[in-house]
Amino acid sequence: MEKLIEILEDIEPEVDFTSCKTLIDDHILDSLSIISLIAELEDEFDITIPTVEIIPANFNSAEAMLALINRLQEEE
Amino acid sequence: MSASYCSLLYLAAFLPAVILLYLILPQKARPILLLAASWFFFWSISGTLIICLIFSVFVIHGIGLKLDGLKSERDEKLKNPGDRSKKEIKAEYQKYMRRFLAIAILLNIGLLAFYKYMGFTVCNINSVIKLFGCKAAIDIPSYAAPIGISFYTMQAMAYIFDVYREKIKADRNFFRLALFMSFFPQIVEGPICRYSDTAIALWEGKRIRSNDFLMGIQRISFGVMKKIIVADRLNIVIGNIYSGYKNYDGAIVAASAVFYALQLYMEFSGTMDIVIGSAEIFGITMPENFSQPFFSKTISEFWKRWHITLGTWFRDYIFYPAAMSKPLKKLTTNARKKLGNHFGPLASSSIALFCVWLCNGIWHGAGWQYIFYGMYHFSFILVGNIIEPFVISAAQKLHIRRTCKPYVIMQTVRTFIIVCIGEMFFNAHGLRAGFEMLGKILTDFTPSSLWNGTLFKLGIDKLDILIICVALLIVLSVSITKEKKISLGKWIISRPLYVRIPIYYSIILFIAIFGAYGTGYVPVDPMYANF
Repeated sequence: MEKLIEILEDIEPEVDFTSCKTLIDDHILDSLSIISLIAELEDEFDITIPTVEIIPANFNSAEAMLALINRLQEEE
Repeated sequence: MSASYCSLLYLAAFLPAVILLYLILPQKARPILLLAASWFFFWSISGTLIICLIFSVFVIHGIGLKLDGLKSERDEKLKNPGDRSKKEIKAEYQKYMRRFLAIAILLNIGLLAFYKYMGFTVCNINSVIKLFGCKAAIDIPSYAAPIGISFYTMQAMAYIFDVYREKIKADRNFFRLALFMSFFPQIVEGPICRYSDTAIALWEGKRIRSNDFLMGIQRISFGVMKKIIVADRLNIVIGNIYSGYKNYDGAIVAASAVFYALQLYMEFSGTMDIVIGSAEIFGITMPENFSQPFFSKTISEFWKRWHITLGTWFRDYIFYPAAMSKPLKKLTTNARKKLGNHFGPLASSSIALFCVWLCNGIWHGAGWQYIFYGMYHFSFILVGNIIEPFVISAAQKLHIRRTCKPYVIMQTVRTFIIVCIGEMFFNAHGLRAGFEMLGKILTDFTPSSLWNGTLFKLGIDKLDILIICVALLIVLSVSITKEKKISLGKWIISRPLYVRIPIYYSIILFIAIFGAYGTGYVPVDPMYANF
């Protein structure tokens, strides 16, 4: 989780990622942030995020992202 | 049969006949009726070219099943990988699946290219040959394309991509897939549906409910009003100015650009109302294609509100795959380190965006003006993205609230002007004509020709303008309620009969009295049917 928060804070420094649950719904992360984020997550966690997984439910909170990362790591 | 959903034949004969038969038949037979009606509808417009549509269904049905078969085989192997790693097995099967995906793309896009772009390609090859001083030229092929080929090809590709990505399972039922691809209300001008949107509901053959029926009829009436009262009424004046723009000053040309933008919206969104209303009668909810596009503050927002199903198709199947491709992801990571969080990802997303807008331009037609149209919108979106941080900081320094009404109105008017100019190039008789028309607006603008009688000699009079303004006011009021998430349609059907009847009569009378039909009017052809 710590590594994930670090990546997120690097992309959007002024957001409290530990509590926010509406990162996509409230447009806190826009399409540019998502593109950066996916590239970073794939590099850091050695996963491939397929385009079907790019849905609000998977990116609305740090927990949702971590669940996605864990799931993809298990599937790899 | 005419390709227009606004024709008497469709509204007063074909649709009622299908509804009547649907009501009589048992539930199991209803989807077959819809498929038979859809193929009859297609055949009545495009004749034997229906073979192309059926061929596309065959291709995606067969390849979809093959992809599913490969996935099951892969999953079996993953359960008992033996001495091979799971990654190796996945990579092996992905290679096989990609081959079949490529065949599906080749056959579907190949057919689309053959019918839509062969003439344009040969024309450009001839120009290159001429450039080298050679007199030989290839004959430009001329043949009719199947109606709606651009729309159903997009649906076919969305289906096969979704099966490949494992978003949906391939459909074993050929006829269910065929109905999803051919459903008669949407075959000419969309909306471009996804398999998960409509396929299952269409095959259920649900009973027609009175509320769905009334909502559908109301929606159809609203669409007919937009088409007959505004789009058709503007047809002659637009035709006259666009074909003879050299004879008129910039004010007249600018008026024609605004007329065309309004006509295109009224025709296309009106047809969508008829299409979505027709489907609603059978209990089918189709995706919306418009969401008050002229309320947009930026071009980027405009394309989220205009022809929505096309935009989301390009987003899901061109933008994301391109932006998420290995080279662009690498570019994102490297550029972010050097250019920061805004400009870094912007560099790679701009390349993906360029691909989207090139495809968007080409999709709209085989001609350089369409490619220009795509690039025109791409440029505005790109510039908007680049200057956004500077605009935000400038507004802060100048103490301008970006949400205040005057600022929003300024943004909306600016976007409307950009859209009108873009549509002017889109409808101009070639790219050169588009630039000449723009030149006229910028250098020879005489506002008085709008009221000194010049405009009124071109196929539109003061009464026409008044009727159009009233219709536009009605559309604007409905748009405002929609923007506020209020459904006027639901409000009307929830009223008692003594309120509903006068409303229905008023709508029918308004269309019957002020509709532009009969002598002196030329109805506009379905504008998106040839795309």
